[in-house]
Amino acid sequence: MIVTRALDGRRVVLFESGLKVRVGDLAALGGLLTAILAAAIVSLTTGTTPITLGDAAASLWRGPDSGDLSFAIWDVRLPRILMGVMVGGSIALTGAMLQSLSQNPLADPGLLGLSQGSMTALMVIFVLFPATPQGVLPLAALGGGLAVGALLIFLVGRGNAGGMAILLMGIAVETSLSSMTSILVLYTPPEVSLALAEWMAGSLFRSSWDSLATFTPWFALGVPAILLLGRSLRSYDMGDQVAMSLGENLPFSKPIILVTAVLLTSAAVSAVGPLAFLGVMAPHLANFISPTSGRARLMLSVAVGALLVVCADMMTRGFAGDIPLPTGLAIVMLGVPMFIVTLRLRAMRRMRGQ
Amino acid sequence: MRKLVTTMAVMLLATTAAFAQTREVIDDAGRTVQIPEKPQRIIAMHEALIALPLIELGFDVIGVYGRADDGASIYDVDFIKSVFGDDPSLQIGGIGPVGDIDLEKLRALKPDLIVGMGRQLAQSEILSAIAPVYLQTTMAGSESGFSIEEQLAKAFGRTAVFDVKRASYLERVEEVRASLPEDPRGKTYLAIIVFDQISAVRDVSGAIQAIRDLGYEPYDWANRVTNEPAKSRGFAVPLSSEEFALLDPDLLVIMNSYMSADHSEGGIRARLDAIAPGWSRFMRAAKEDQIVFLNSAEVATPTIRSALHTLAAFEEWGR
Repeated sequence: MIVTRALDGRRVVLFESGLKVRVGDLAALGGLLTAILAAAIVSLTTGTTPITLGDAAASLWRGPDSGDLSFAIWDVRLPRILMGVMVGGSIALTGAMLQSLSQNPLADPGLLGLSQGSMTALMVIFVLFPATPQGVLPLAALGGGLAVGALLIFLVGRGNAGGMAILLMGIAVETSLSSMTSILVLYTPPEVSLALAEWMAGSLFRSSWDSLATFTPWFALGVPAILLLGRSLRSYDMGDQVAMSLGENLPFSKPIILVTAVLLTSAAVSAVGPLAFLGVMAPHLANFISPTSGRARLMLSVAVGALLVVCADMMTRGFAGDIPLPTGLAIVMLGVPMFIVTLRLRAMRRMRGQ
Repeated sequence: MRKLVTTMAVMLLATTAAFAQTREVIDDAGRTVQIPEKPQRIIAMHEALIALPLIELGFDVIGVYGRADDGASIYDVDFIKSVFGDDPSLQIGGIGPVGDIDLEKLRALKPDLIVGMGRQLAQSEILSAIAPVYLQTTMAGSESGFSIEEQLAKAFGRTAVFDVKRASYLERVEEVRASLPEDPRGKTYLAIIVFDQISAVRDVSGAIQAIRDLGYEPYDWANRVTNEPAKSRGFAVPLSSEEFALLDPDLLVIMNSYMSADHSEGGIRARLDAIAPGWSRFMRAAKEDQIVFLNSAEVATPTIRSALHTLAAFEEWGR
């Protein structure tokens, strides 16, 4: 492993396997992982039960017991932090993948209708088959998301249409499904619509070791996605024509990217509900921290998404008190100002460059 | 040897006592739940539909959704205060915001039973780690009047308390009926609540129980409107203002939204005039002054106390 300079003059770490990673990307990732760790530590001490850092460390060292402190750490806060990391990472990864695929900075699982597909499937279950066991719900969400993914592939053709076509078809599908869910809510008994409203607001409240065990395999799917699809997505960033000229097999890779996005999104939606705007925001913030593409962009997006959700969850527990502050709203409150500031700073940089 | 026998006897007694203190019931979601024989500290997952009937049955409700730590309601309407008055013993703690229950706060209250609504299955799985969760159906369509309270009394062994309160209430029904200018039996009623639109009040409330016990019969509005509303829609179902003005009940019962600060007759009329202008010139009940105005925050809960508030309003109207 040696540190050298790339053709553009930036310093890169060159591994023996031939893998090149920019030093700036590594530093950004290191910084983000440190921030996630710091946020997780603060989050462990944030909540109704007063817990100091020492108490938290001692409890983690001792392992779970029947006390209130152990309950707060092991049964409430730790599962929420881990779920936040995984769900935030998954949604951000999906957003980054879809933005490259569609060559559109606004693309995210919500805009393409993937989240809505999962939500609609869950609502159909809630309304028409209320006695369905809870364990079936993730599968239903997956089915709904896959159905939308298949519909998008069918509508845009296997690889012949451009990114804008995917985006426009996605918006059309999302709008149609939104109308369908509105009608379902209208005919849903109030008990069900109350439960739906709570779930649609997005919350990590249901995080538990069981739900983590269910979600982890889906999150693990993100690792091969980053490793295997990163290179393809770098080609997509330059447009379909260039991607093809670089040897990218569009009819093969487009459906794979879409299906991966569907699997990650559906699992996240069934675990915590929809977290709006995260898929758009996280890749943009990652790109601001370290402008890059391919695998590095995906990894940085995952880290930013995880950090945003962990911090947002901490906000709902620590600062909101009894004011209803859904996690989805906390993410928006936290992320949107950062999003606006980064856009402004980027515009100012561009003006200075001219 | 004597010590061993004594220890074993104590252990046997303790085990027997522990078993005797709980019993197995099947809740409305069809789940078998081991609940305390005499629940001492209950958390209710809905204020109006679950907490109030339990309070009326004499249970100690220690936590409910939508309350701050000091017991104040975080919503515009405080049903506990409206129905039971400003009773300092009813300062019930909160369990976090709706949709994001604070499990640490909930556990700190040390409940021995949590009562949720029939469809809160996902929540019940999480909450069961803290205390047994009993799910009570509240809006399946079969409930009416204060039947939810009756079902809870039966499930948690307070039937005698419920029967005493109901007997006293029925005496009051007779008293109020006798005070009305004419016998209401056989006459039809239409109860509406004015939200952003006019909604017909369905069956689940103390108000409807009292109106029916007085002898009024439900006006068959569902078959006289253009769009027949869906069944099992809970407390109220929207009516178009045009359809409303065409209805012809003998008695009109009107209430403002529970969120409204103004429950006076003038306030309710003004709100209704804004939504259905001229209604009072079209409807026979209005022309004959057969209108009772109610405070929805007092009468909309499925409790005997809400039914008593309704009777008081009818008695006042009868004068």
